[in-house]
Amino acid sequence: MRLDVDSFREIADSLVRNKSRSLLTGFGVFWGVFMLLFMLGGGDGLKQTIMSNFDGFATNTCIMVSSQTSEPYKGFKEGRYWDLTYTDVERLRQMMPDLEIVTPVIAVWGGQVMYGSYSSSCSVKGIQADYGKIEEPRIKYGRYLNETDILQERKVCVIGKRIYKELFPDGGDPCGEFIQVGPVFYQIVGVDYSSGNISINGRADQTVSIPLPVAQKLYNRGKVVDLVCMTGRSGVRMSGQESRMREILARQHLFNPKDKEALIIINTEQLFSLVDNLFRGLNFLILLIGLGTILAGVIGVSNIMMVTVRERTTEIGIRRAIGATPRDILSQIIFESIALTLVAGSFGIVFAVQLLRLTEKIAVAATEIPASFQIGFWTAVLSALMLTVLGVIAGLAPASRAMAIKPVDAMRDE
Amino acid sequence: MLIELKDVNKTYNNGQPLHVLKGINLGIDRGEFVSIMGASGSGKSTLLNILGILDNYDTGEYYIDGRLIKNLSEKQAADYRNRMIGFIFQSYNLIGFKTAVENVELPLFYQGVARRKRHQMAMEYLDRLGLADWAKHYPNEMSGGQKQRVAIARALITRPQIVLADEPTGALDSKTSVEIMELLQQLNREDKMTIIVVTHESGVANATNKIVHIKDGIIGQIEENFGHHASVFGTSTIMK
Repeated sequence: MRLDVDSFREIADSLVRNKSRSLLTGFGVFWGVFMLLFMLGGGDGLKQTIMSNFDGFATNTCIMVSSQTSEPYKGFKEGRYWDLTYTDVERLRQMMPDLEIVTPVIAVWGGQVMYGSYSSSCSVKGIQADYGKIEEPRIKYGRYLNETDILQERKVCVIGKRIYKELFPDGGDPCGEFIQVGPVFYQIVGVDYSSGNISINGRADQTVSIPLPVAQKLYNRGKVVDLVCMTGRSGVRMSGQESRMREILARQHLFNPKDKEALIIINTEQLFSLVDNLFRGLNFLILLIGLGTILAGVIGVSNIMMVTVRERTTEIGIRRAIGATPRDILSQIIFESIALTLVAGSFGIVFAVQLLRLTEKIAVAATEIPASFQIGFWTAVLSALMLTVLGVIAGLAPASRAMAIKPVDAMRDE
Repeated sequence: MLIELKDVNKTYNNGQPLHVLKGINLGIDRGEFVSIMGASGSGKSTLLNILGILDNYDTGEYYIDGRLIKNLSEKQAADYRNRMIGFIFQSYNLIGFKTAVENVELPLFYQGVARRKRHQMAMEYLDRLGLADWAKHYPNEMSGGQKQRVAIARALITRPQIVLADEPTGALDSKTSVEIMELLQQLNREDKMTIIVVTHESGVANATNKIVHIKDGIIGQIEENFGHHASVFGTSTIMK
């Protein structure tokens, strides 16, 4: 194979000579690559946008809520109400060493929070300090609630983003200020800017978080808690822990451990795997459509090269007569085919990248979620490589036809 | 003997078998200027194709410079064509989208000669044929005579042992035909180039030093023609 500057110029020449034909043929490949990359990038961005709803939420979290029993058990009728208590939390902590955090939550809905002449609706959440490991706060000012707040039952609170914006429209650090919820004043110790859309008893940005014992006393809850949040130690699958949790609580509260309705356990692991599966399916579809379109484009290239070879029978014959080996002809046709696919495909890559950049700008501006829609560098390199291989494949059939041209044909074809 | 053909036979098997060459025996020495003459269908083009290693023959032997040319691989055949034979065609067979100098360069490209070197050589040959000013022109911007001279430059650039010309004046007017034939004569005289011309025009054949008559696939008469009086018509010009 002989390659120098002239070979490349010749390839470029022969593509430019049939401008509209090269353009139309290249468009198929261009469109296929563009579709594939744009959809891959877009799908990824979409996934990130959706996943950001689970932002700051531990992936192996489990939330349990007590509910009405659905089966009679040990002499009790069905339809009985029971409550999770603070003792259950201690019990789970001691009996299930695989759980890293077990933390109770009390929620009070429909509150009104006031600061000076400003007010905002809110929900009050009584929590312990380790709740921050379940729903990770993004602290803008101050700090999160700590162990001392809980132990000393201080009347302090952490407020969500929206409450902060409504009570302090002028901005600034609100820590140390007192806000009023119902009849009680709380001192602000922190502002939580987390924006995840998963909400345990109300959205994080409209929540006033106070120490759990304060809430228990102020709202007359006694030992009863509304829900218990748990995370497993690393490597522990929460779905495997469920039956043991049920057994522990069923023995204490006398309901059938097989009664799924009596104790509702929500497992985020399942939620995550659902979204994961959804996007795996979507990606498969994208690949199928994208690769299919590219393939159609490549077949178009192959077809056009076939026509080109037929048109250039005389030229190829002349080349053979003055000393071109079949291999020279083969490499010429294959290189032309590679050039056509690669140039068209590169435009597809560039166009996809530019359009993804624009999409990212618009999407991020609209949702305020910093998702990345861009394809990776190596994805682009890989697609360029794939195009080269496809170019070779597209050139094979026309090249073998070109190789079959005998120099005698050049003289006959006049 | 530079070229030696011994009992060469060729049959085409397209539908009805056609026995075209029926035992050709021919020897051509280095430095000869020979024409092969015959009517159409006489087998002269087939003979030319075999001489130029463009086609195979069935039986017999063909030697160039003592080397047997038989059952060559495509690669070998291409290499021999490139290094030993220069072709001149009736319809010039220049590549239309290449300039004159690029056309002349092409055989050297396939030899793997460096770009600068082959460009310089091509310019040299074009200059010798008086076409240096036309180097950057495309074939369709040139006259028939100029195109044929570019083709001759392309045939000569590899310094071949043999130049094969297939009706080199077939598409030219009589004045230009004379010029081209004089050019070939000059090449034969000054460069000692072995030239074989295939033609059916007696005037063209008359310009050569030896005329091989071929008829129905057999070589008839071989005339020595150093006096150039073989053609009744063509003593002074070429009849068209």
